[in-house]
Amino acid sequence: MTQDFVTLDGKSRGYQIMVAVLAVLALSGFISFIISYLEGHQLFGGSNVIPWGMPVVLAIYLIGLSAGLHILAFLIYIMGQDRYREVIRVAVFLAIILIFGAMIFIALDLGRLEKFWRLFMLVYLNNMSSMFAINSIFYTCYFISAVIYLTSLLANMKRFSMVMGMVAFGWAMLTHAGTGAIFGFIAARETWVSSLSPLEFIFAALGSSLALLIVLLFVIYRVTGRNLSQDLITSLGGLVKILIIGMLILMVIGELTHLYSSADEATKYMLAGPFSWLFWIFLIGIGVIIPLVILFHPRAKKSMRGMVIASVLIVIGIFVKRYYLVIPGQAYPMQYYPGKIEGVWGALGSFNFAPVEIILSVGIVAFLALIFVLGLKYLELLPSAPEPTAPETEVAETAATAAAIEEKSEE
Amino acid sequence: MVIDLDKCTGCQSCAVACKAENNVPYGSPEEHERRTAPFWHKVIAVSHGEYPAVSIDLIPMPCMHCDDAPCVTVCPAKATYRREDGIVIQDFRRCIGCKYCIIACPYGVRSFNYKEPEEREYHRPDLPPDRADRGVWPFPHRVHGVVEKCTFCFHRIDQAIKDGKKVGEEVVPACAEACPARAISFGDLDDSESQVARLLASRQWLRLREEMGTSPKVFYLPK
Repeated sequence: MTQDFVTLDGKSRGYQIMVAVLAVLALSGFISFIISYLEGHQLFGGSNVIPWGMPVVLAIYLIGLSAGLHILAFLIYIMGQDRYREVIRVAVFLAIILIFGAMIFIALDLGRLEKFWRLFMLVYLNNMSSMFAINSIFYTCYFISAVIYLTSLLANMKRFSMVMGMVAFGWAMLTHAGTGAIFGFIAARETWVSSLSPLEFIFAALGSSLALLIVLLFVIYRVTGRNLSQDLITSLGGLVKILIIGMLILMVIGELTHLYSSADEATKYMLAGPFSWLFWIFLIGIGVIIPLVILFHPRAKKSMRGMVIASVLIVIGIFVKRYYLVIPGQAYPMQYYPGKIEGVWGALGSFNFAPVEIILSVGIVAFLALIFVLGLKYLELLPSAPEPTAPETEVAETAATAAAIEEKSEE
Repeated sequence: MVIDLDKCTGCQSCAVACKAENNVPYGSPEEHERRTAPFWHKVIAVSHGEYPAVSIDLIPMPCMHCDDAPCVTVCPAKATYRREDGIVIQDFRRCIGCKYCIIACPYGVRSFNYKEPEEREYHRPDLPPDRADRGVWPFPHRVHGVVEKCTFCFHRIDQAIKDGKKVGEEVVPACAEACPARAISFGDLDDSESQVARLLASRQWLRLREEMGTSPKVFYLPK
């Protein structure tokens, strides 16, 4: 099965306005980064109780969204599902942008950005027992293999792209498992420590990235006048369903293990404390239960609208999952000594939404959306439309909506 | 280091002396409330029970200088490492500020430099500005964006060894020197003649968060 791919014209007024808006947002993000670099991280919401803030939340979220998209390559080449070939280019391009964004966020979270290269000295200057250092190898290899894979796809190298697709898939899975290990291997944080977390991260990544892909495809195809086949979306939705169930099972086992342990105060705080509404309403309710109901509903699972709604909810839910893991997950004070620790040393950590941090996060996400939209214009990513006279005026809206979705999920 | 909780009165001299010796920024009350002020040594108060049947334990907490330190394990840039004599050191030139060590430390003894400090010198201002006495300090002054922590006043120890003085008797870290109740003792645990070894042999002792398996090198003698 051969498929022709084309670029977007990108000459409409809406497209140009949208590029301009995204560029302004991205610029404000970079300016706020420069301010934070000069003034120090006092401008962020974190503290010594909650040292990791929004940049880390977004980094692991974007890594997940990125890594999961490579399951398409696995499905095409190993399972012989040729119908996914028409979206593979967009998916791989999106994956590259997202991992790039994740690396930007990791870099921005560092106190001394100018020493970012130290993370990538691989074995030479790095402490190889650190999950960060191991992950830097994963990120590097994943990023490079994904870029080579996209290049081979764009050059229509069939056999080579198959090989690179598998390589990129392998690195993607390792990347996200490693990201889970960054959290799961920390014995001092009882809400994080879990040998399941690499697997849980993989399931969440696959589910959320396919959901994001469904949403983006829907929007792009709708406004460029392409015909998105119901069959494709339904089969993607079926995959998302299985992955979300898998994630739910792993989460339940993980939380039960935490609760079963005698040192369960922090887990109880997470599940029943002041922020537990994030967990129960947004993560379990909006992120898992409602999408699963839609995906299992005999009529809704065959309708485009149902799939898109479920996907949007999953994308939001997984973002809340990351936020919830990182920020309330660190907030519970550590028990240095048995008893009630008085004063600030035993107080719950507080995290305030600092303007600089928010602008920075929105700006970088806008920057990523900008690259994506420009990529659609300059690279042959989209399958050729059946009617070449498709209305092009609304392309801008497509990308604007896409950016809006990403930004919404980021809040 | 051995801290006798029976002698400790909770005066916090150790925490103040540490700030003075190492020029740790003091931080405003708001920063302290928000927990962005750096502390190399802190004293926590732990209460048990309800009034009137209440008791308070006062625990001075420097870095525990663990044998199996989680911060050393997780640091990606080899910025935190354990010296041969057991002191866990932070190399600010290598530190990239990823804060992973703050996450991994079970004792919360690490602080991030959230802002450009006004007190930029790491070392005692009364010492001559000779770089040789600064040991491995890579920066002549501190910057924001790196993690810092207690060093057991290694500059004093290194100087004492160079001068041939006895560590633990003639030269001790600033917190031990400042303690009015002489609750903090410092010395070589491997030396069976040292004061710390004798204290540990004569009294019951405990270490914080033994369940973490870090085997800290700060021992507490209970009340």
